[in-house]
Order: sequence, then structure tokens, then C-alpha cells
Amino acid sequence: MTTTNPWSPNSFTPADPAYFKVKLITFSITWGLIFLASLVPGILFVASVDTPLWLVIIPPVLVVVIALLILRILRRQVLALGYLEREEDFVVRSGVMWRKQLVIPYGRMQYVEVNSGPLERRYGLCQLTLNTAGAGATAHVYGLPQAQGQELRERLVAAGEEKML
Amino acid sequence: MNQVAHWQRVHPASPFVHGWIAIVGLLWIYWQNTDELSFAERFAGQRLFWTVVLAGAALLLVLFFYFLSWYFTRYKLTDTHVYVNAGMLFRSQKQARIDKVQAIDIAQPLVARLLGLAELRFDVADSSESVLRLSFLKKADAHDLRQLILQRAQGEQPVENPAQQPAEPATLNPLGEQPAGSAPLMAKVPAGRLLASLFLQLPVVIGALGCATMVILWLTGINGIIAGVLPILLTFGSYFYKQLNQGWNFTASATDSGLRISYGLADTRQHSIPAGRVQAISVTAPLLWRLLGWYKVEVNVLGTKSEDLDNLQVLPVGDFESLSRIMGILLPDLGVPNQREVLATAVKTGTDYGFTASPDRAKLLSPGAWKHQGFLVTQSTVISRYGWLARTANFVPHHRIQGTEFRQGPWEQRRELAGVRLHCAGGSIIGYLHQVDAQIAAEFTLAQAKRQVGR
Repeated sequence: MTTTNPWSPNSFTPADPAYFKVKLITFSITWGLIFLASLVPGILFVASVDTPLWLVIIPPVLVVVIALLILRILRRQVLALGYLEREEDFVVRSGVMWRKQLVIPYGRMQYVEVNSGPLERRYGLCQLTLNTAGAGATAHVYGLPQAQGQELRERLVAAGEEKML
Repeated sequence: MNQVAHWQRVHPASPFVHGWIAIVGLLWIYWQNTDELSFAERFAGQRLFWTVVLAGAALLLVLFFYFLSWYFTRYKLTDTHVYVNAGMLFRSQKQARIDKVQAIDIAQPLVARLLGLAELRFDVADSSESVLRLSFLKKADAHDLRQLILQRAQGEQPVENPAQQPAEPATLNPLGEQPAGSAPLMAKVPAGRLLASLFLQLPVVIGALGCATMVILWLTGINGIIAGVLPILLTFGSYFYKQLNQGWNFTASATDSGLRISYGLADTRQHSIPAGRVQAISVTAPLLWRLLGWYKVEVNVLGTKSEDLDNLQVLPVGDFESLSRIMGILLPDLGVPNQREVLATAVKTGTDYGFTASPDRAKLLSPGAWKHQGFLVTQSTVISRYGWLARTANFVPHHRIQGTEFRQGPWEQRRELAGVRLHCAGGSIIGYLHQVDAQIAAEFTLAQAKRQVGR
């Protein structure tokens, strides 16, 4: 079978499986809030404020449908994440519906950031951001175990310095 | 080199250029409060006395603040730095290293032009976020100072390992300026052509038609409509004014290092664009312009940002001759033997000279544009063409590409298509391979990764 990706998904280092839990919790919080907001007309209706019936029914149903659709591909989204260190450049991939593979040569790298939010810290994860002079060419690596993230940053900075001149 | 290391003040009228609005405001308040009085009543007896006293006091107060503002604004030029200090309560002290200065622009806002003053704007290589401004000096002084700083910048050019930086000729000679006047003119935009070009853009046509409709509706008696019209008119007017201002009196001339452009309706602006700092070039031809063979050229440049538009215009409107002259300066090496023909194919349409077009599978996704989408990889550059009504050709040199992004959406996956974006620094222009065959896009991404590092 001919592959239509520049690099085969198998050669990438995948995100840590624990990252799925982080995504799942973030997803629950965000969509929980949105669902609550969509219930507002219903509450008004119950409180016998004059509200059209379609406004009561459609938003919650719509929210649930969209949330379920996203939930269905959430695991695949996490599985689709990955990075690849090559001789001269760094590749990140992401996306199930909208696939992306971004290649950044080490020589173009300006700085590397490692961040971790409270949720990620709980699962011992971090995310790494690789910045270049171009706003669009910013690579995000999600769901890295913290030790691995630090090592990767060291390697990237070293490679960047070596390839810069 | 002589040391001019003492502090100097800017022109005493400078605060007025920013602060004239305060005086106008005071006058307006006065006018509003004495609206019901006639002139005879205003200037008679007791009232005259108080008017004069209060006006005098207000004027003194304003002048006092102007004086403070002027007194605390000082600049100093040393062999290595330019310093600008300003502010009494909130002091700001800024400096720029002269050898890091990439370009110096001279700007003249309307009031400054009436007073014969000019502002210097320093583009510094190491701080892209803020531009150092020195406002205001007499126009002649500003030009002298600019020349002096440029000379120092050149005189102090250290020969920093030129062999190791072939990709950045700009850092070796950022300010290869020559005196104004001797620069050969590359393109000029006559007022008539500019106006014609503005009215031949679809957004302007639609906007103008909309405005006309509204005015007619208003004249026929629907008064309520004016409330809705006014914001739209203002938005449209300011957009139109920006376009007009960016193209008015436009000239582009060649310098040793690149291009110098100057334009402006109320303000006169000058920008130097060293060819070595151009990151990407975009040539656009809107629908109606194509009938006339007109093009607009915009560039991504490091440091210099146009304040009104996203990207810096280096040609608001011009024919193919002007276009090819400008391209010859900004991108002298297109990486092909027959540059002119390739350029013509790039900005028009067709698949001659090796352009790869979208396959017919793309027909359903972009019915209008698929025939004209395409790309070409040369020795030095990636040329990509896309767009339906306004057709755009983007030129991105290999060694300017910051990152290559392979993208495939759900509809493209089904049709085995894919796109590639080539991200650049300094603006929003990107290389954009739109809806090409997925296999070709994948191969291109692989090959591009190699080309980028291979130099």
C-alpha cells in the first residue's frame, strides 16, 4: 500500500498513554461547562419564564451530539500524536481528521519551552514547544513524560547550537 | 570619528505635533459652553476679562506641559549607541546599538509635515518588538542624522566570519545605502492608475455599491437607515483611506542593498528594504486587474512592519514590467535559466516550465481555482500559486523557510489530495501548495526537508 504521509506513523515516538487521561479530564470539564450553559433555557422554562420550546431542546441535544463525536476520536487523536528526531530536523505529527506533519530544521530553532499544567503534572507529563522566527512554524509535543521532556529539550538545544552556524 | 556624546533636545515644536489635539479640545469645550452667546456678548465687559484670563491660564498650563515634555525628551548619539530618553513621571530610556540598526525610516505625520519636522524610526535587529523613535527633528537635520548614523553603522561593520553565513547577507551589509536622488527609479504609481486599481477591487466595488444604495435609500426618505450606515461607511472609508495612503505618490527605487520605497497621502513614509532581509514575496492579481495585467507585490521583511496592513507593500499596483524589475531586485536569483518566462507563468496561470498543477480530483473542492493552482520548485525558490478570484503567487526562497507543514483534511484524504504550507518569518505570507496530489505533496515535503538544510 502506498502511504500518502511523508513519514510513516510507525517511526514516530508516540505520546504517553497517560496523556489520554489528561485529554479526557480536560474534555469532561470543558464540555460539562458547555452542557451546563446549554441547559440555561431549560431552567428558565422550568422556572416558568416564557421560553420557546426549540430553544430548550435543541442546544443540549446539539452539545451532546458534538461531544460524543469528539469523544469518539479522542483516543485516536492521542494515538495520532508523535514526534520524530532526525539527522537535520525535527518532525511532529498530529490530527485524525485534519492530519498534520510539521518539519522544522534544527538550524531554524529559536528557543524550546517545556511547560506542564497542574493536570499534566499529576500524571507526570509535560509539553514541549519549539519556536522558530515564523509564527506558523511552531511545533508542539504533547504528552511527554517529564524526564523524557527534559532530555528531549537538552538534545534539541544541543542540536540547534550545533546546526546554527 | 568625532564624538557627539552630549545630550541634545528635539525640536521645541515636537510636543505640539502630538499634543495639538489638546488645544483643539480646549477650544471645542469653550465653544460648546458659550454656544448660546453671540460674538458681541462673548467679548464684552466682565466676560471678556474672565475669558482672557482663563484662556491665558489654560494656554500657559498646556504650554507648561509641552515644555516639560520637550525638556525631558533628549537624545544622544555616541559611536556605538543611540539613546533616547523621555518622560518626566514615567521615564523611559531606550537605546539602540548602531551596528545592530537595520534600517532607519523617516516618517512625517500631517502636522509634522506642515511644520517641516520629521521623525526617525530605527529598526533594530535584536529587538523586533519595539521600534526606537526619535521625534521630532527638522527635516534636514533628520536626514543628516540618518546619514551620519548610517555611515557609522557601515564604518563599524565588523568582518564577522562571512564564510559561515552565506544565508544572511543582510547581516554583513545591512545598510548599503547610497545618497537619495542617485537611486534609479524602479517603479512609480501615477495617481490615476492607483485610483483605478482601487476601484477595480471587488471589496471596494461591493462597498461602494453598498454605500451608494444606502445613500439613495436615505435620500428617498428612509431616515432610520443612517444609524446603521454610519459605522459601515466609517469602516469602509478607513479601509479605503489606508489603501489610498499606502499607494499615493508611490515610488520604488533601487539602492545598493535592495529597494527603497516612499509613499503617503497625509504622511510621507520611506522604507528601506534590503533584499537580504526579504523572507517571502507575494504577487496578487485580483479578478478585474487580470484583465489589465496589473499586479500587487507584498513582502515579508524582518523588522520593518507596515503599521496599517499585514504585509509590506512594495508595489501597490503595476504592470508586468514593473513587477519583473522589482522581483529582479528582491529575488535576483529565481533558480531557473529563463527567469522572465517562469515569472510570467507563475503570476498568470498554466503548467509550462515544469509547474505542477492540482489533479482533476480537486475540481469538486475548489471548482474555480483548481485549474490555476500549482507549484514549481527551482534551485533557489519554491513558487506556489493559488486563489480563485484574486490569484496569488508566492515566492519563498529555500533558505528562508522556517518550517514545512504537510496537511490533509478529511475531504482531501478521500480524494488523495494534500496541501503543504511553507512557514516564513516576518509576516503572514506563506508558501502554499494547495490541493496537490497526496503522493506528490509527501515527496515534496521529504525533498524540501533536505533542501532546507542543504542550503
